[in-house]
Amino acid sequence: MSTLKHKGKGPQSMTANELRDGYSVWLDENLDWTRDFSAALRTEDLDLIDRMQLKADTDEKANIVVGIYFIDIETESGMPVRYREKFRVNGPSYDTADLLEAK
Amino acid sequence: MYRYDEFDAQLVADRTRQFRTQVERRLAGRLSEAEFRPLRLMNGLYLQLHAYMLRVAVPYGTLNSEQFRMLAHLAEKYDRGYGHITTRQNMQFNWPKLPDVPDMLDDLASVQMHAIQTSGNCIRNVTCDPYAGATAEEIEDPRPMAELIRQWSTLHPEFTFLPRKFKIAVTASEKDRALIKAHDIGIQIVKNDDGDVGYKIFVGGGLGRTPIIGQVLRNYLPKGELLAYLTAALRVYNRYGRRDNKYKARIKILVQETGIETFTEQVEAEYKTIDISDISVSDAERERITSYFAAPDFETLKHDPSEFTKALEGNRAFSLWAKNNVAAHKASGYAIVNISLKPKDLAPGDITATQMRAVSDMADTYSFGELRSTHQQNLVLPHVKQSDLPALFAELEAAGLAADNINLISDIICCPGMDFCALATARSIPVSQAIAERFADPERQRTIGEMQIKISGCINACGHHHVGHIGILGLEKAGVEFYQVKLGGDASEDAAIGKVTGPGFSQEELVDGIERMVDFYLETREGSERFLDTYRRIGITPFKEVLYA
Ligand code: SF4
Repeated sequence: MSTLKHKGKGPQSMTANELRDGYSVWLDENLDWTRDFSAALRTEDLDLIDRMQLKADTDEKANIVVGIYFIDIETESGMPVRYREKFRVNGPSYDTADLLEAK
Repeated sequence: MYRYDEFDAQLVADRTRQFRTQVERRLAGRLSEAEFRPLRLMNGLYLQLHAYMLRVAVPYGTLNSEQFRMLAHLAEKYDRGYGHITTRQNMQFNWPKLPDVPDMLDDLASVQMHAIQTSGNCIRNVTCDPYAGATAEEIEDPRPMAELIRQWSTLHPEFTFLPRKFKIAVTASEKDRALIKAHDIGIQIVKNDDGDVGYKIFVGGGLGRTPIIGQVLRNYLPKGELLAYLTAALRVYNRYGRRDNKYKARIKILVQETGIETFTEQVEAEYKTIDISDISVSDAERERITSYFAAPDFETLKHDPSEFTKALEGNRAFSLWAKNNVAAHKASGYAIVNISLKPKDLAPGDITATQMRAVSDMADTYSFGELRSTHQQNLVLPHVKQSDLPALFAELEAAGLAADNINLISDIICCPGMDFCALATARSIPVSQAIAERFADPERQRTIGEMQIKISGCINACGHHHVGHIGILGLEKAGVEFYQVKLGGDASEDAAIGKVTGPGFSQEELVDGIERMVDFYLETREGSERFLDTYRRIGITPFKEVLYA
């Protein structure tokens, strides 16, 4: 389900969740979805942003991802502006699963 | 324990089959997300911040060892090796994958479990006193009544699309371990002046953004009339509850806006229109359900046997644990054992698959195969022989489950917060860990005594912060987390909503401030006062002064 069209400020990234696995994903430079935010495309280029929107719409209709939306990116750090989005990028700061894996 | 009859089994099997085809259609693109979302929510499947989350219902917090082993199996096979006990006594899995969920539901159905009505604007899983059937304080076991409500409310066609979700809690003793006054409807089993057993009904309690303590709707309701009366109350809510604003849609707002007198009149008027015999359950059926909860075959045992008292004398760790985590049982020579899920290194309420299996084995060996989940995010083995307590303690130690902090400052209720929850405004798990770390010294914890700290990661208050002796609400402003403090809340039979102290704090300032308040309480308390008692005696002002010092 498409939610937000681009109406943010500054550089943008496109994000969603994978339909099957549910994980957070972002569009990369090849307009493929990546689980690794460091590979995410961050751009202010309006043409590119249009293409990102089109690709996200298409993939949402194709049931690859759900809940597409653009996020604002801090120019200097390259990280999402919104606190919540930073968390989606970093994953839980505490997860019992990590403890189990460490063991 | 209740065993499904053919209707229950059929209903759950049908629902699981339906959901499997719904998932298949979604994955094949024949259902859009807009179409699928309400269907997955009806089966307890959320899309959270990082992944899907499946919430499994644990009806009235009662589980048998086979069911708990199945939850361990789900955690290991389909998730990341652990589960999380919620403040509604349910279990959540944080990392399931959509194509696996139908298999998970099939596995659950094989042990008479499901995830129905763990989401949506329906009557949710009924919660209950975790000591049910084991404590001498109760008038009778409340679980047969909870089971009756479960059967009545499951897929109830009239109450599937209420204005908002609806939560019912039940208890059967004066001592409230089920937070009944913070529920849409709370039910207490009572006796009237003639000694007849019936129900006292509370209505319009709730936490969330508008915390309200429930009020008495009926002082005494005869036993056979419960479902008819609940139907009347739900009908009034369904008719007049606000659907224009989801923040005002809970029954507590309706009761506030209508006034308890008028609301009661409306319910009683509706009740008069109902043919009780239409809805009420026959004595025979009630007895049938009750028989599933018959007390196990307790042996005739001596109270405080020598195996127990010797271990108390000879093993300090055992003695401290037994003093704090073990409660009195109704049968002589037996005990109720609380298993803390608040060790220092796990998030409150988390339990690994290995630990779940270990607890299942312990339940089989020591507690007639039965266990309970609590709204405090802990576990209970309800029927343990006192003479078995030393052996049980050794097994708990081996499983990393021997924390002796029940009801102490590190026994913190804490929602998943921003680490997992899509609605969160701030993290809560790291705050609980920082507090537990600060007060890690067990001796200090015991000196402080009973203390309930409760933390929510947003205004929805799943972490019950409104009723914490110290309640903490995580908020965010301009990308920075901060924490608001409430004082004087109470989740017991004397339920009270805490008062906000003032502006919020960073996590570090918060933990320092809590420590100052605790130290101040220790200096100021009289006799055996708990933190809450001292607060009540001297009021909020002195605590605020040290909190903001
Ligand atoms: S209180 Fe808020 S953050 Fe915590 S679980 Fe509930 S909705 Fe999520």
